[in-house]
Amino acid sequence: MAFRLARNRALIAPAKSALGAIPRTALFYSTSSKPASSGQPQASEAETHFGFQTVKESLKAGKVAEVFSSVASSYDVMNDAMSFGIHRLWKDHFVRSLNPGRKSGGSPMAILDVAGGTGDIAFRMLDHADKINGDRETTVICADINADMLKEGEKRAQQQGYISTNRISFRVENAETLDSIPDNSVDLYTISFGIRNVTRIPMALKAAHRVLKPGGVFACLEFSKVSPAPLDAIYQQYSFSIIPLMGQLIAGDRDSYQYLVESIKKFPTQQEFAVMIKEAGFMNVGKGYEELTFGVASIWKGVKPLDSK
Amino acid sequence: MISTLRYHSYQHPSPAPPFTPTESSILSAALRHVPSHGFSTTTLSLGARDVGYLDISTNLFPRGVFDLVNYHLVTERLRLSQKVDFSKFEDGTKRLSTPAKIRVLCAERLRANSPLINRWQEALGLMSLAGNIPASVSELAKLSDEMWFLAGDDSHDMNWYTKRATLSGVYASTELFMTQDTSPDFEETWKFLDRRLDDVKSLGSSVSNISSYLDFTAHAFSNVLRSKSVPFF
Ligand SMILES: C[S@@+](CC[C@H](N)C(=O)[O-])C[C@H]1O[C@@H](n2cnc3c(N)ncnc32)[C@H](O)[C@@H]1O
Repeated sequence: MAFRLARNRALIAPAKSALGAIPRTALFYSTSSKPASSGQPQASEAETHFGFQTVKESLKAGKVAEVFSSVASSYDVMNDAMSFGIHRLWKDHFVRSLNPGRKSGGSPMAILDVAGGTGDIAFRMLDHADKINGDRETTVICADINADMLKEGEKRAQQQGYISTNRISFRVENAETLDSIPDNSVDLYTISFGIRNVTRIPMALKAAHRVLKPGGVFACLEFSKVSPAPLDAIYQQYSFSIIPLMGQLIAGDRDSYQYLVESIKKFPTQQEFAVMIKEAGFMNVGKGYEELTFGVASIWKGVKPLDSK
Repeated sequence: MISTLRYHSYQHPSPAPPFTPTESSILSAALRHVPSHGFSTTTLSLGARDVGYLDISTNLFPRGVFDLVNYHLVTERLRLSQKVDFSKFEDGTKRLSTPAKIRVLCAERLRANSPLINRWQEALGLMSLAGNIPASVSELAKLSDEMWFLAGDDSHDMNWYTKRATLSGVYASTELFMTQDTSPDFEETWKFLDRRLDDVKSLGSSVSNISSYLDFTAHAFSNVLRSKSVPFF
């Protein structure tokens, strides 16, 4: 591990100075200490959480964008460090279980990866479709609210030769609206480690339901609640102290990673989120979710019924 | 104590229906494709398409093709009580004995496998995969309970565990035999079933007897799996 950390630090060293330019204070904003600094009366506006801080809903999207802009280039390195590389296994399992790609006698699939960031899931989808189902026609739209994350993804797509195939495209989109995506046009909607950053999760679920074809699948991979309790205690300890520290060491940005940890803690339980998916009009798959690694992460799936409008 | 452990749908009135209408419609459509496409993801996709769903909709089944196997097992167990009619074998005076009823029930349930019999070894292979064993074993136990119940044996004695295990062994070995039987109308299978049931009767339901069935079953089963190159456990 020590060796790995050292190597990762060397890898991202050039990016460090750029990240250092982001004012730390801008990342966290406390409504209680700065009540009306914007000068606008906002008392009636709904509040939402930003990590453990409560902020106005209109501000959260901007804050989330800041966090991810500040971590974009070191993001993949950090993911590895945070989960000891396990996130790769989770993502592999996620994609394999969905089995994307054209089946014999069927059609190529239209996949939408929301909060797709640097394209981790999108590339896996295309690889799976190609290698497992011999399908080079299935397409993925990688959508994210943050253009910097998408730029990293596009760079990777360039390097790995996906761009020329027209099977992947990148689009700036808010998960809550998905404005440029037509109704009933998507076979498979995925969101991996993204839903927890969305301000109004029910709106994102509604948008997912709108863009999916009847019979289409909603699939979400996200950090979740660990059980049993002793393990949870250890995990809380780990995530609250180690992850921000590693964020500091690796990405030179403790606050952004503090935010990540707190937002994980605030996310609904596995069961609660399964109910939200159902309330958005999906059929739950099995009991609604599948836990990975004692519930450190979970996968939720829902199918849009044929008879929904 | 024993009676509270006893499982039966009659004593524990049915909980929720085991499958949602969408699941049932896709899976029952898929079963019709098993004879030509086997227990495969293609079969699941074809079932989904038949009823208007998409290939990707087969994500509705978290255990994949095993969910199709399980659907057949559960629905045929639940159907058994409606299908079997002992009065066919009885006249006004003579009633069928419990062992005779068990024989009728086993044969009736085995017949339900006949439309899929050329592919049933694939199902047995799926049932033997580590993650699917608990569900498969528990379904076999439920089938055995159902048959004892329908045969009119609802005794709550200590023998119950033995009876359940014995019948499970007889059923499982005959089911396996049937997948290799090429005789007309499965004549050899019915003879095999009779021999197994006779063995149980003549030896009594001793524990050694059960283990010899399980031995046979495990042995024959591993041969089948080897021939299918499915890793055995
Ligand atoms: C933790 S990253 C996940 C990236 C990638 N899906 C993965 O699994 O590695 C979270 C992403 O969510 C994006 N995001 C946050 N809020 C969003 C929103 N409302 N709509 C779309 N994307 C959003 C962020 O820009 C960031 O790229």
